[in-house]
Amino acid sequence: MKRITVDPPPPTDTRRDRVERQLFTELQRMRVAERADAAIPPARVRGWLVAAAFASAAAFAVALFAHSTDVQIAEREVASQITTPIGGTSQFTVGDAVMVAGGDTSVEVKHGDDGGITLVLARGSVDCDVAPRNGRPPFHVIAGEIAVEVVGTRFTVTRTPAARVDVTRGKVRVTAPGGSWLVGAGESWSPPTESKATPAATSDPIAIAPSPVSPAAAPAVIAPAPAPVATIHRVSQQTAFLAAGRLEATDPARAAKQFRTIANGHDAWAPPALYSLVELHASSDRDAALADCAEYLTRFSHEAQVEDVTWLRVEILRAAGRRDEARSAAADYLRQFAHGSYAGLAERIATPP
Amino acid sequence: MGLSIVEKPTPSGEAELVAACVAGDQAAQRALFRREYARVHATVYRILGPSRDQDDLVQETFIAAFRGLARFRGESRLSTWIDRIAVRVVFEHIRARGKTPVPLGIVDDEDAGLSVGVEVDAQAHARDGLRRLYAALGELVPEQRLAFALYSIDGRSIADVARLTNVSAVTAKLRIWRARRELMKHAAGDPVLKELVS
Repeated sequence: MKRITVDPPPPTDTRRDRVERQLFTELQRMRVAERADAAIPPARVRGWLVAAAFASAAAFAVALFAHSTDVQIAEREVASQITTPIGGTSQFTVGDAVMVAGGDTSVEVKHGDDGGITLVLARGSVDCDVAPRNGRPPFHVIAGEIAVEVVGTRFTVTRTPAARVDVTRGKVRVTAPGGSWLVGAGESWSPPTESKATPAATSDPIAIAPSPVSPAAAPAVIAPAPAPVATIHRVSQQTAFLAAGRLEATDPARAAKQFRTIANGHDAWAPPALYSLVELHASSDRDAALADCAEYLTRFSHEAQVEDVTWLRVEILRAAGRRDEARSAAADYLRQFAHGSYAGLAERIATPP
Repeated sequence: MGLSIVEKPTPSGEAELVAACVAGDQAAQRALFRREYARVHATVYRILGPSRDQDDLVQETFIAAFRGLARFRGESRLSTWIDRIAVRVVFEHIRARGKTPVPLGIVDDEDAGLSVGVEVDAQAHARDGLRRLYAALGELVPEQRLAFALYSIDGRSIADVARLTNVSAVTAKLRIWRARRELMKHAAGDPVLKELVS
C-alpha cells in the first residue's frame, strides 16, 4: 500500500522553548496542587522498583488492601468498593470518568440498569472528572442526604462528616433536604445551616436511592430551588487558581483578574498565579508583563519558576523592540543561570552585534 | 573568593534518566523533553496534520508521560512508551472534536509541512494536496484515521500500529484498509487527492 510523504516542518528552538516553558509551568502548577491537597501520600515512591524488590509481599498486600497506597498515579479498573487508608489515595475509572478517592475514604460504585453510575460516599472525599452527560448515562454521587447530579464537570465531594461539593469545571446539580442548587465552576456548596445540625455520618449513606436516580425518577427533589440558606460560597485558592486557568482561553481579562487576586495572597498559590499573569500579559500588555516579572523576582526569588521568569523578561523586551534592555536582561540571565535552559540563546542575545 | 559552579551531570542512560525524572530532577526532565520533543512533534503532526492544537497536544503528551513515568517498567523503549501516549492523546483529541474536517485554506502556510527547496508551483501543489488529504482524513472514523495516519503517513509497520493503538494486527490492517477505501471514495472526484493516495 502506498506511503504518503509528509515532512513536518522542523520545530524552531523558539517554538520548542515555548512548549517546554508551558509544560514545566503546568507541571509546577500540578505539583503545587498536589502539595495543597492534604490527601497526598507522603512519598513519591518509585513504585516499580519497590514492586520488583518486594513483588511477592506486594502481591499479598495488594490483594489485601487493593485500594490503597502509591495509587496517586495508578489507574485501576472499576471496583464495587474503594477504601483508602489515612494518607493514601486511589485513582479509579468508571467508563469515561476518572476519580481520585482521597485519604480515609470509603466509596461504593453502583451501576444502574440504565447504564447510569452512582458513587455512594460513606466517608472521605472523591474527586471526579466526568465528561458532559449529553446523551451519556447519568452520573451521580450520593453523600448521605446529599445527591450530586453531574451535568459534565470536574468536582470534589467531601463527607467528613458534613458534605461539601467543590466544582472545578462545568456544573453540577446538588440535591439536598431543603432544595436543589446548580453549582458552577469555581463555586463550592455545603449544606444549609439547619441540615448541618443533622449528623450526616449517622444517616444511611444509601438513604437516597442510588442509580437509577435520574431527574425523571426524582422530579420532586429537582424542583426549583427554594430561597437558599446561603451556602454557595467562596472557593479555595486551589479551586480559584484552576478555574482562572480554564478562563485563560475564553476570557483572559477575567482570568487575569482572578490570577491577580490569588497572586496578592501569601499562600502556595501566589507564585504560580503571578507567573500565569506574566504569561497572560506577555501577549497582550507587555508593560504589565514586565511589571509582573519584576514583582515575581522580588517576591518569589526562591521559587522554581525564577529562571523562566528571568528568561521571559528577555523575550518580552525583545518582542517590544527594546533591544538594549533585552541584551542587558539576557546578560542578567546568564549571570544567574550560566548553565540554564536558555543559556545558548541568552549568549547570542547578550553578545553585541 | 570566586563563585564556583558545580554542574550536575545529566543522566545519560535511559534507566538513570527515568529514575532521575521520577525523583523530580527538573534538569533530567528537561533533558528528556528535549530528547523526545522532535519525534513527538513529528508524530503528532503526521497524524493530525497542520493544526493550531499541535503544541497543546505535544505538551499534553509530555505531561501525561511525566505524570506516569513511575509506571514505566522498561518493557519497551522509552520512546515507544511516549509514542503510545502521544497516539492516545491525539486520538482523544480527534474523538472529542468529532468529524470536523479541516476547512481548506485555514491552515497557516508556514506550517504546511513542506520541504525547503521545492519549486514554488510544486510547493503550492503539495500544500494543496496536504490540505485535501487532512480534510478527507477528518471525515474518517477516528480509529481508522489514526491507523491510516500511523501506517501510511508516519511510516509505521502494521505491528507498530497494532501496538500503538492497542489492537491486534488484523484489526489494524482492517482499519487501514477501510480508511484507504474511504479516502479513495473522496479521491474519485479529486485528482489532487487521488494522486496522493492511489
